[in-house]
Amino acid sequence: MPVPSHHIIAIPPPFDAPPYPADIFAGQVVLVTGGGSGMGLAMARAFAQGGAHVAIMGRSLDRASEGAAQIAALGVRSHAMSCDVRNPDGVAAAFDEAESALGPVSLLANNAGANFPVLAENISPNAWNAVTRIAIDGTFLCSTEFARRRIARGEGGAIVNNSAQYIWTGFPGDAHSAAAKTAQATMTRKLAADWARHGIRVNAVAAGFFPHADSVSGAREEGIEPLQNMIPAGRTGSIHEFGWLSAMTCTPLFGGMTGQIIVQDGGESLRRSLMMPDFVPPRERAEGPWGWK
Amino acid sequence: MTGWLEGRRARIEGECPAVVAAFGDAGATFVEEGDIDIWVHVAPPSAIKAAHELSHDEWRASLDAGLDRRFLGARDFAEQCRARMGGGAILFIGAPEQALGADQAAAAGALGNLTKTLGVEWARDGIRVNAILTRESGETLGHLAAYLVSDYAAYVTGAVTGIGLDD
Repeated sequence: MPVPSHHIIAIPPPFDAPPYPADIFAGQVVLVTGGGSGMGLAMARAFAQGGAHVAIMGRSLDRASEGAAQIAALGVRSHAMSCDVRNPDGVAAAFDEAESALGPVSLLANNAGANFPVLAENISPNAWNAVTRIAIDGTFLCSTEFARRRIARGEGGAIVNNSAQYIWTGFPGDAHSAAAKTAQATMTRKLAADWARHGIRVNAVAAGFFPHADSVSGAREEGIEPLQNMIPAGRTGSIHEFGWLSAMTCTPLFGGMTGQIIVQDGGESLRRSLMMPDFVPPRERAEGPWGWK
Repeated sequence: MTGWLEGRRARIEGECPAVVAAFGDAGATFVEEGDIDIWVHVAPPSAIKAAHELSHDEWRASLDAGLDRRFLGARDFAEQCRARMGGGAILFIGAPEQALGADQAAAAGALGNLTKTLGVEWARDGIRVNAILTRESGETLGHLAAYLVSDYAAYVTGAVTGIGLDD
């Protein structure tokens, strides 16, 4: 169903009108994990709009390079690297490479993640390990590598984690990601406490539905238009507004903020009614565990 | 923050110099009477007392400022938004749940879930409802408040956030 025409939809400013000046990250380097596409690329673009040089880390060097090329087009320096965030030595090597190419990394965006609809009983040990460890171990390893380097330099920094809107409710049909994304959010608070005295801030954005070219299960013939009316806000999120909020948490404008998890989901995680459509277990949903393909 | 709130009319109920300054920097106009696009309610911190030392009058005063007045003010503002069919933004500011006494714990908890509820109930009126529960009163509070009531936060509604570690 389309959104009724008498409903009022709040719309963000366009991509070319970012909420901060073009030099707010001047002289800084951000490392974005999983930054070659999707939400990571949106984060990378937002940091670039504030003047940060951008190191893009991805499993696939090709994809990271494509992202880095898009970033360079925004007028900052960029560098693409291949890295598995579950491998501590690989993470350290990637930081070395980023710093040798662009200078000391002072900002970190933990975005690397994997996700797909699957019944809990069908999650293989390999799939469970992949989804949980990329988000949980990956965020831990990249954040600690970042923090050790910042502390050694005697300088602060900022970290932003890409969490998800379903972290406080569970997500039937997505057990691995439900666990992984909440771990990211709860570690955000503790990492912030551990590193506050070193001037390192750590925050997270619990993101709702921001469709992009690589969205999981997002390739419907009819596109995303039919999904707009499902969200209380009357639309799915625009990927650049997610990037902006992520980058915003790392700006001096929000310099006192740390340990926070901000939900940006158009009210999606909050919608409920006393009377709802019949409950269909994920196993029996015609369109798969998430209820859509 | 230049232009975040350009052309927007705001009213702030309660005292919060950081928010006033940030809204001004962001281009908002403060109006005392008539239609507004942004309504902010700042609850004053109540005294810190053990629950058994709180009189019912003190308890009532905290709940009135921290909850009842906020609901009634938000309802009036939403009514006005619907009448002009222009959407709007509501922001509640106050102390975190466990920062003061049991009166604040009750009021802030109620307010948090009220924020989540009104954010969805009024979503299709184009009215966003958010809350900052914090011990902080400095610049970040002002900036975050200005962000949350601006179009840059168009996809943020029903959010309850703090600022500092202890929030």
